[in-house]
Amino acid sequence: MRNLVRSIVTGAAALLMFGSAQAADGVDAIKQRGTLNVGVKADYKPFGYRDPAGTIVGIEPDLAADIAKRLGVKLELVPVAASNRIEFLQQGKIDLLIATMSDRPERRRVVQAIEPLYYSDYVNILLNKKAGIKDWADLKGKPVCATSGAWYNKDIAKSYGPEIVAFDGSEKPLFAMKQGNCIGYVYDQTFLQGKLIEDEWKADYDLPLKGVLPSPWMIAVALENTSLQKLLEDTTKDWMKTGFIVDAEKKWGITPTEYSVSMHEQYKDK
Amino acid sequence: MSNAEPGHRLAVLLPYRLAPTRISVRISPLSAAILCFCAILAASTAWAESGPTMLSPLQVILKWSPLLLRGFAFNILISLLAMLLGTVAGLGLGLALLSEFRPLAAISWLITQFFRNAPWLVLLFFVMFLVPFQVIMFKTTIPLPDWIKATVGFALPVMANVAEVVRGAVRSIPSTQWEAAESLSFTRRQTMWLIMLPQCIKRMLPPWMNVYALVAMSTVLASIVGVSEMLTLTAQVHAAEGGRPELFAPLYGFALLCFFLYCYPINLWTARLERRFRVR
Repeated sequence: MRNLVRSIVTGAAALLMFGSAQAADGVDAIKQRGTLNVGVKADYKPFGYRDPAGTIVGIEPDLAADIAKRLGVKLELVPVAASNRIEFLQQGKIDLLIATMSDRPERRRVVQAIEPLYYSDYVNILLNKKAGIKDWADLKGKPVCATSGAWYNKDIAKSYGPEIVAFDGSEKPLFAMKQGNCIGYVYDQTFLQGKLIEDEWKADYDLPLKGVLPSPWMIAVALENTSLQKLLEDTTKDWMKTGFIVDAEKKWGITPTEYSVSMHEQYKDK
Repeated sequence: MSNAEPGHRLAVLLPYRLAPTRISVRISPLSAAILCFCAILAASTAWAESGPTMLSPLQVILKWSPLLLRGFAFNILISLLAMLLGTVAGLGLGLALLSEFRPLAAISWLITQFFRNAPWLVLLFFVMFLVPFQVIMFKTTIPLPDWIKATVGFALPVMANVAEVVRGAVRSIPSTQWEAAESLSFTRRQTMWLIMLPQCIKRMLPPWMNVYALVAMSTVLASIVGVSEMLTLTAQVHAAEGGRPELFAPLYGFALLCFFLYCYPINLWTARLERRFRVR
C-alpha cells in the first residue's frame, strides 16, 4: 500500500510539474548556460544530416556553429522534424531554429522570423542532360514528373504548359523519370540539389534552368526574445556581407542559389 | 526371455507420461540469424550487378552499423529502464489490487484498466507533451531529455500489465495456503511477503518476460516523438545515403534483424520457463 501511495504521488508530481518549466530567453541566459541549443534537420542532405559517426553536419549546422562561435558558447544541435520544431522552440528546449522552415504567415504568428531571411528554396526541374531543354518554355507539351499535392504543380502547368504526371512522395517520380516515363522531375530545388551530390544522379542529370517561384526559409526564435533576435539579424546581415552562406553551399557541394548570391551582392559593400 | 532385466517385469503400473507437446516448426536463433543475413546478402548481391560505382547495401549497412547499433543500444536501455520503473510501480499496484481495503482496490483497478487498455502510442504522446523538458527544483535545473520522458511513457502500460501479472499469480496460489498461514497466526502482510510472493515469483517470471519482449519491440514507437533511437537513425541514415530506394529494405531489414535477435531468445527462454513452471 505504501508502495502504491508513493508511486501515485510521484506520478502525479511528474504530471503537475509542467507549469514549472521556464523558457530560456535572451542572449544572457544562453551565455550563462554556456550552450546554444539549435534545432536542425537530420534527414535533409546537405542542409542537415548525419555522418557515420552520428554527428549532425551540413549547411545549417555550419550556420549554427558560427552563431555559437559569435556568442562564445558551446553548440548543441537538436534534431527536429517538421512536426515538433515549433513546439520545441515555444517550450524553450531550443533557442533557435535553422531547419529548412519555409516562411509562412501562420508561422509568423507563433514564432519570430529573423529578417533578412537567410535562404530561399525554389521550384526547379531535374532534367536528363540529353533532354536538351534550355528554357522553361521548352517544356510545353512534354511529360514532366511531379509529386502529387505539391502546391506549385498547377502554377507550373499553367505558366509553362508541360503535361504533369504526378506520383506520391519523391521516390516514385524519380524512378518514373529514370524509366523514361517523363523528361524531368519538378520539385523543391534544395531537394534536387541534394540528389545531384549523389553519384547515382550527377552523371546523367542536371538542373539547367533557373529556379522559379521562390519560397524563402526563415531562422526562427521564440516571440519576444528580442536580444537574440537582434543578434541573429546582425549575424545574418554579416553572413550576406561576407558571403558565408554562398561559401557554405560550395563547401557542401551545391551550386549557390540565386537568392544567396544576390543577397551577397546586395550586402557586399554595406 | 531373460530374467536379467527385472525392471521390465515389475508388476506395478508405471506413471503415465504425457508426450511433451512441441511446436512443430522451431527455428533456433542461430539459424534464424543466418536466414536473415542470407536474405540481406541476396538482396545486396542482386543489386550489386546493376551499379558498380555506388556502395552496395551491405557496404552501406557496414559503414553505418556503429551508429545504428548505438541507436539499438539506446532502445534496449529505454526498454530496461521502463521495465524497471514499470515493475516497481506495477508490484505496488498489483498488491493494491489485492488489498482488502475496498476503495484502494477499486482505485487501483481503475488505474490498471485504464493503462492496460490505452494505446501505448497515445500514452507516449501524453507524457511527451505534458512533461516539460526540464524541471526546476530548489533552484537546480534538472533536464528531462526526450528519452527519459519516453521511458516514463513506456513504464505506464508496463506498470498496469505487471500489476495484472502480480494479481493473477497471487490469485493462482491455492487459497488453502492463506488459511494455513492464518492458522499459524501470520498477519496478512506477513503472509503476502513471506509466503505468497516468494511462491509467485516463478509463476510471474514467464508473463513478466513476455511483457518485456513487448516493451523492447515497442520502443521504436519513440521514433514518432523524435527520440534518436534506432528507427529514427535508420531513417536519417537512409536520407544521408541519398534516399536510394534500393537501400530501404536492407536498412530497415537490419533494424528488424537486431530486434529479432534480441527478442527471439527471450521468447524461447520464456517458453522454456513456462514449460518448467507449468502449474499442474
